[in-house]
Amino acid sequence: MRNDDAVVITDGLTKRYGDLTALDGLTMSLPRGKILGVIGPNGAGKTTMIKILVGQARPTSGRASIAGADCEREAKRIKHLVGYMPDVFGSYDNMRVREYLDFFGAAFQIPRSERVKRIDEVMDTTGSAYMQDRFVESLSHGMKQRVAIARTMLHDPEVLILDEPANGLDPVARVEMRDLLLRLAELGKTLIVTSHILPELSRICDQVAIITHGKLRAYGSLEEVMRKVTQRRTVEIQLVDVAQMDATVAAVQPRVDVDAEVTTSPAESVVRFTTNLPEQELSAILAALIEAGIVVSQFRELQQDLEDTFLSITREAQEERQREADMAAAAADSDR
Amino acid sequence: MTNYSNPIIERELITALRKPRSLAMQLAPAVVLALLILMRWPTDSQVGLSGLRALDVFRLFAYGLLGTILLLVPAFPAMSIVREKNQGTLALLLNSPLSGHAIYLGKLFGSLGFVFLPLIISLPAAAACYAMGGISLTGDLLALYVVLSLATIQYTTLALLVSTITTNADSALRLTYGSVLAMCVLCVGPYQFVQGWSPGLILTVSEWIRCLSPIPAVMEILEQRDLGAQGLISASGTPLRYCSLAVLTAIGFAVFTLRNLKQTMFDRPRPQGVITDDRSQVGQWVRRGVFLVDPQRRKTSIGPLTNPVMVKEFRSRRFGRVHWLIRLVAFCAMISLGLTWLATTGTFAWGPETIGGIMVVLQIALVVVFTPSLAAGLFSGEHESGGWTLLRMTPLSPGRIMRGKLISVLWTLALLLLATLPGYAVMIWIQPILTQQICYVLVCLVLGSLFALTLSAMVSSFFKRTAPATIVAYAALVLVWGGTMLVWLARDAPFGHETVATALVINPMAAALSVLDVANFGDYELIPSAWWATGILSILCLVVITVQLARFTRPQ
Repeated sequence: MRNDDAVVITDGLTKRYGDLTALDGLTMSLPRGKILGVIGPNGAGKTTMIKILVGQARPTSGRASIAGADCEREAKRIKHLVGYMPDVFGSYDNMRVREYLDFFGAAFQIPRSERVKRIDEVMDTTGSAYMQDRFVESLSHGMKQRVAIARTMLHDPEVLILDEPANGLDPVARVEMRDLLLRLAELGKTLIVTSHILPELSRICDQVAIITHGKLRAYGSLEEVMRKVTQRRTVEIQLVDVAQMDATVAAVQPRVDVDAEVTTSPAESVVRFTTNLPEQELSAILAALIEAGIVVSQFRELQQDLEDTFLSITREAQEERQREADMAAAAADSDR
Repeated sequence: MTNYSNPIIERELITALRKPRSLAMQLAPAVVLALLILMRWPTDSQVGLSGLRALDVFRLFAYGLLGTILLLVPAFPAMSIVREKNQGTLALLLNSPLSGHAIYLGKLFGSLGFVFLPLIISLPAAAACYAMGGISLTGDLLALYVVLSLATIQYTTLALLVSTITTNADSALRLTYGSVLAMCVLCVGPYQFVQGWSPGLILTVSEWIRCLSPIPAVMEILEQRDLGAQGLISASGTPLRYCSLAVLTAIGFAVFTLRNLKQTMFDRPRPQGVITDDRSQVGQWVRRGVFLVDPQRRKTSIGPLTNPVMVKEFRSRRFGRVHWLIRLVAFCAMISLGLTWLATTGTFAWGPETIGGIMVVLQIALVVVFTPSLAAGLFSGEHESGGWTLLRMTPLSPGRIMRGKLISVLWTLALLLLATLPGYAVMIWIQPILTQQICYVLVCLVLGSLFALTLSAMVSSFFKRTAPATIVAYAALVLVWGGTMLVWLARDAPFGHETVATALVINPMAAALSVLDVANFGDYELIPSAWWATGILSILCLVVITVQLARFTRPQ
C-alpha cells in the first residue's frame, strides 16, 4: 500500500479511548492528486482518522504524515498543508461571506493584497462569488457547503480533507458538489472525502477505503476493492413464463456450488443465484435451461456497486465480531 | 382544552424539574436565605420590643429573595420559545391542533410553575422572620410576596416575549437580562432627578416610571427610605402602583407575544445582504447622512497588524459594529454630562459625593449589564458554532486567540467608561480638589471592568454552550458584587466592621463609593487593598483561561 508519490501516509495508526479501540492499525497511502473516498458506518473510526491527520488527535500508536510532515509532531506545518472541512460548518453571526473568508484568510496570515485576490479565486472556483455579500447564517445548506470549501482552499493547501461534504444536499447540489470536487482534483489537490452517499463517491473517487470498527477492511481503486470483495458473482435469469420458475430452479440447483444461494422473485419472473463458476460452466447452465424447454429472455451477470460492496464488507465484519464474541464467551465458560 | 390538560405545561415543567441543575437552582437560594436568617437570628434570649431586629432580618431576607428572582426568573422562560424555534419543534406545535393561546399558556404556566418554586421554598424562612415578631402578616409579609409574585409574572412574560422575537438562545438571554435590569434599575433613575420638584407632568411621569421597578415597592414595604432619596420618604402607595403596572405590563407582554406566536412567524425571507455600495447614488447619500459609519458598507480586509480574532468578534457581535458603539458611547456621554449639568446648575443640593456615587453606580450597572453578555460567549460560542475546530486549524496561537477575544470586549468596555469621563472632568473643573479622589475612582472602575471581563470569559471557557455560560457569568458577577453588598447591608449585626471591610475588598463599586465618601461607605478604608484584590482575582481568572485554552488546543 506504499507509493513513492504518496502525499498522505498512515502506518499502523491506532487510537484507543480507554477500552474502546476507535482505530486499529490503519495503514495506507494516497498518491498526489487523487481522491480517496472513506466509507464506514457511524462510529467506524473515519472522524478519528481525520482528526489524527489534521493534528487534532494524537494516535495511541503508529504514525501519519502529510507531504512529509508528521501529523503529530509538526502540527504547524500540517495546518498549512491541509485544508479541513469538518461536518459542522462553523458559522459566525452577522458576518457576510466575504468578511467570513477574509477572517480566515487573515488567520492563515495571507498578506492583505494577496488575500483579496485569493478570496476572489476561491469564490470563483466554488461558484460562491454571487453570495459574497450575503450573511453567512442566512445561507442555505448547499451554499454553506460551497463557502466551507472556499474557506478550506483559502491558504492553497496540498491536501483537502472534507468530512461529509454532500451530506444534506439536494440531488442538483450533490451533482454540483461532485463536479466541484473533480475540479479540485484537476487543480492538483489531493482529496480525502468521507460520505454516506456511496453512488456519489463511486463516481469521483480514485481510491476507496472501507473502515468498520476501526479496521481498514478494504483499500485500493474501486475495481480492486470490488474484485476483492465480490469473488462470487450474481447471475440473474429472466423468464418469459413465471410458471417455469420451479423447473428453472430444479435445472440450476444441481449445477451450482453446494452453498450457492438460488432465490426466486415471482413478481419479476426472475431466478437469481450466486456462484464462483467460470464462464464455460455458466454457459452450460444456460444450455441446460434451453434444452429443458425453459424460455429465457435474459441470462446476465449483475454488476455489483459500491453500496453492495460496502454492505457485504460490513456484514462480514459484523460476522467476524460475532464469532470473536462467541469464542470469548466460550473461553470464559470453559474457564468457569 | 383546559390548562390542566395542556400537554405543554407538563412537558415544560417535568423536563425542567428532571434536570439535576434545576434542583440545585431551587435549593441554593433556599439554603442561602436560611443561612442569612440564621446569621441575623438573635443569639441572646431577649427579643427587642421595638421589632427593629426582626425588621433587619426581614429586610435581608426580602432583598435576598428579590435578588434571587431577578437572577433566576429570566433564565428559564427566555430560552423556552427560542430553543423550540431553533430545534424545529415550535413549527411542529404550531402545526398541531394546539392554538397559539394554548401553546403560550402552556409555556407561561410551565415556566411559572418552575420559577415560582424559589418563592414557595422560601416560605419556611419567611415564617421564621414572622416568628421573630415585629412584622405584620398582611402589611409586610403578604405584601412582599404579592409584589415578588407579580415581579415573577412580569419578568416571565417579558422573557417569553423576548424569546419569541430573538433568533438564538444566548441573544434571548442577554436581551432578557438587560431588559430586566433596565426595568429594575434604570426606571428608578429619572425620579431621582425630579423629586422635590413642584407637582407637574414630569414629576408624575417620573413617579410612575419609577414604579415599574419592584425595588421602590419592596423598599416601602420594608419601611426604608427610597433609593437615592434626599432625606425624604417618597410618596406612599408605591407597592400598589407597582402591582397595577406589573399586571398591565404583563398583559401587554402577553398580548405582544401572542401576536407573534403564530405560523406566520416563520414566514420570513432570508436576509439578502443588500450592501450600500450596490445601492443607487441617492440611497448611498441618504445612508451616509443617517449613519456616521454605515454598517452595510463593504468592509476592507483585515490589516496586517490587527488581531483577526478581535476584528471577527466585533463583526460577528450584533451590537459590535462601529455604528452601534458610537451610539452607545454617545448615549453614555450624554447621560454622564446630563447628570453633572443637573448637579451644577443648582437644581439639586447634591454634593460631589452624591453625583459621583450615582455615576459610579450607573457605571457599575453598565459593566454588570454588558460584560457577561459580551464575554460569556467568547469561548463557549466557538464550541457551540463549531468555530473552534476551524480556529484550531489556523496557525493562530492560543495566546493570540485569547488576546483577540479579550481585547474585543475590553475595547467596548473602555469606550463605555471613557464616555462617562466628561462628567468626572466637569466635577474636577468645578472642584479641583477632587482630582485625586476621581483618579482613584477611575482605577476602581477600570479594575472592576477587568475583573468582570476575566470572570465572564473564565466562566465561558468552562461551557460548550453560550446560554448557560451567560446565566452563570451573570450569576457569578452578581453573587460576587451583590453578595458583598448583602454583607454590607448586614453591617451592624451580625457582621462587624472588619468583616464588612474584608468582604467589600472584592467589590470595586464599594471601593469607589468609599473613596467618594458616600454615606455608610466612607467608614471603610478599601484602597489600595481593593485594587490588589481585584487585580489578583483578575490575574487568577486569566491564568484559568490560559490553562483552559491550552487544554482545548492540545490534540486529544
